Amino acid sequence: MTDVFVDSFVYSLGERKIHVNETAAAGRLISSAQDLESAGFRWHHVCEPGTTAYDLAKAVTGELADSDRLGDVDAIVYATCLPLNGNAGDPREWERTRDVKYLMDFPASRLQADFGLHNAVVIGLNQQACTAMLGSVRLAQAMLQVERDWNRVLCVTADRFPEGAKYEQAYNLISDGAAACVVSRQPAAFRLVTVHQITNGGLGQAGDDETVGSYFAYTHRLVRETLERAGLTAADLDWVVTQNTNDKAWQILARLLGVGFEKVFFSSMPDVGHVISADNMVNLAELLATGQVCPGQRIALIMAGFGLNWQCVILEATEAVATAAARD
Amino acid sequence: MRGTTLITGADGYLGRRLTAALLADGDDDLILAVRAKDNAELTAKQDRLARQLGQDAVGRTRVTAADLSLDDALLDIDTRAITRIVHAAAVTRFNVERDIAQRVNVDGTVRLRAFAARCDNLQRLAMLSTLYAAGRRRGDIHEERFDDAGFVNHYEWSKWAAEDHVLDAVGDLPVSVLRLPTLIADDDSGQVTQYNAFHNTLKLFYYGLLSLLPGDGTTPLSLATATFTTSAVTRLLDPAIAGGIYHICPDPADTATLDQLIDIAFTVFERDAGFRRRGLIRPLPCDQESFEDLLDAADLLRGGPIHQSLSSVSPFAHQLYLPKTFRNDALRAAWPGYAAPDPIALAETTCIRLIESKWGRRTQETP
Ligand SMILES: NC(=O)c1ccc[n+]([C@@H]2O[C@H](COP(=O)([O-])OP(=O)(O)OC[C@H]3O[C@@H](n4cnc5c(N)ncnc54)[C@H](OP(=O)(O)O)[C@@H]3O)[C@@H](O)[C@H]2O)c1
Repeated sequence: MTDVFVDSFVYSLGERKIHVNETAAAGRLISSAQDLESAGFRWHHVCEPGTTAYDLAKAVTGELADSDRLGDVDAIVYATCLPLNGNAGDPREWERTRDVKYLMDFPASRLQADFGLHNAVVIGLNQQACTAMLGSVRLAQAMLQVERDWNRVLCVTADRFPEGAKYEQAYNLISDGAAACVVSRQPAAFRLVTVHQITNGGLGQAGDDETVGSYFAYTHRLVRETLERAGLTAADLDWVVTQNTNDKAWQILARLLGVGFEKVFFSSMPDVGHVISADNMVNLAELLATGQVCPGQRIALIMAGFGLNWQCVILEATEAVATAAARD
Repeated sequence: MRGTTLITGADGYLGRRLTAALLADGDDDLILAVRAKDNAELTAKQDRLARQLGQDAVGRTRVTAADLSLDDALLDIDTRAITRIVHAAAVTRFNVERDIAQRVNVDGTVRLRAFAARCDNLQRLAMLSTLYAAGRRRGDIHEERFDDAGFVNHYEWSKWAAEDHVLDAVGDLPVSVLRLPTLIADDDSGQVTQYNAFHNTLKLFYYGLLSLLPGDGTTPLSLATATFTTSAVTRLLDPAIAGGIYHICPDPADTATLDQLIDIAFTVFERDAGFRRRGLIRPLPCDQESFEDLLDAADLLRGGPIHQSLSSVSPFAHQLYLPKTFRNDALRAAWPGYAAPDPIALAETTCIRLIESKWGRRTQETP
């Protein structure tokens, strides 16, 4: 197996930063603002009406391009949580013309063209919900193993909720946002140790309470199986970078997994809420920025999402991590 | 000689079963004391009891209103006629508020004891209590008077405090304290009429709303049916049997542990196609601190079913971290050859019935 590396974690958020109280007052939550605040949420980011999910994807890809980190990409894996964000076309055109091509205006193709990534093929991933970013890293790794002449895969995830949507899912305060990273054969800040996924389609239409209810047993199983796959134990993890969800959830899971809570990192939660499938990238970028990640350390990125899906990626920091931290 | 038995809480789950058993097996007249806030409620309760008890009750029962939280409760009852009292009235919710538990379960028992003291012909004052009057004790729990070991909810505290008042009268009154286990089914068929923390916990697991298992898996859980309990209580009401404290529960050797019960419950659940499709995995044992955190977190899931169901489960869940073995030597001596239901078989049939009835949604049950 060829080693595969990951770095260049960037993200972008909806332009309007709104306090949970304001969103509650606007009737765009299901829980009370007080309950969400008690769970650890404060602010979230919402796109202006004219901003699309694709605009967010462009923003993160642009950031990579501007900082010379995009490079010559062989494939783009473009992940969305909401399948409707996998179409950049105007639904009104479809309504007007009844021509389905307006339902197939693929943002991945746009991205390829807009950034001149002419050698890249595109792959859309839209049925893994919030776990799709981790899923795209897995897909990128698998493709790099198989496609001997490929070197770099750009993974992008971008979602914005449709106008009028409640900005809450399964008791989490949602932000519109995008994230990107590059998976490559060339040594970079992190070596990809393993990726693991569990899907339980039987809970595909789970209600919020069932999603919360199954969270602990499944996340525990996910981490246990991921560690087994990598031949590691919980003690081998230096950091656990989670999704932004009720802050008690990881106090419980850390105890059950035997991981010290001080290793659990989700610092962005009060400021950004649950950025759909970008949470791990946002938190990892913040962790890197603290300068605490040292070469040799192992980081688990963990995410649960609709479908129901659970995914975990384990990364190992290389000597390049310090440079990446300074640059990112 | 034909006597008169007063039953408080006579229209409750056990009260009406005890009434039926005493009508079937004895010849006492029965005074059925029920809580009723006005005549309309009293009439409704009278009618319901008449329907439930049938012909046996005609001429042998009288229903009377007695709210034991009030000073004037039981005033209209002729104390000379009373030969036995079965005190089944209580607020039995595990999440009962402290003041209500005090008013009904403790002060109500004190009132009943005062009433009993005026009954010159009294042969037995039997208070139905709970094994969990033991509170936070661990280990072997004998059929003896408890001191205050702390409690995990106001319900068990109030039952202990009520016991304490009744046991103060030993020597003056023919007292029995009958500590009951958790009743999970009406009888060996597994039919459930009264739902409690046992059923509500399983419901959370079955519907995928909980994937953490509070408690120490080795904790024995003393479970029984209403039929078994009713037989034991009627037996212990016999004046020939000495008063005192009895644990009405299966032998320690015939008591299943939390782990065994979860195993049988999931074995039954996993036979159900709907459950299998949902791919729910067995719950993860969790320590008490984690369970407390879960309860805190669930507090924020207001309005959702998790919050609602956990609030009925949580007041009892703490007991699952306090393993205790209830000894029943006195019961065995008083009732040689008694047979408690096999706990695993009972849990299995009960789980089957719970799934069939969707935890009562599919049954038209007589309240
Ligand atoms: N069932 C069990 O698993 C179990 C286990 C251990 C111990 N026990 C004990 O066994 C006894 C009977 O339990 P159960 O299962 O039959 O409970 P239940 O069905 O809740 O019956 C309790 C009865 O007490 C009555 N009551 C409540 N407040 C009253 C008041 N202020 N004055 C007079 N009556 C009042 C209730 O009337 P309303 O409903 O009209 O209020 C009801 O008839 C209780 O003492 C309980 O602590 C039961």
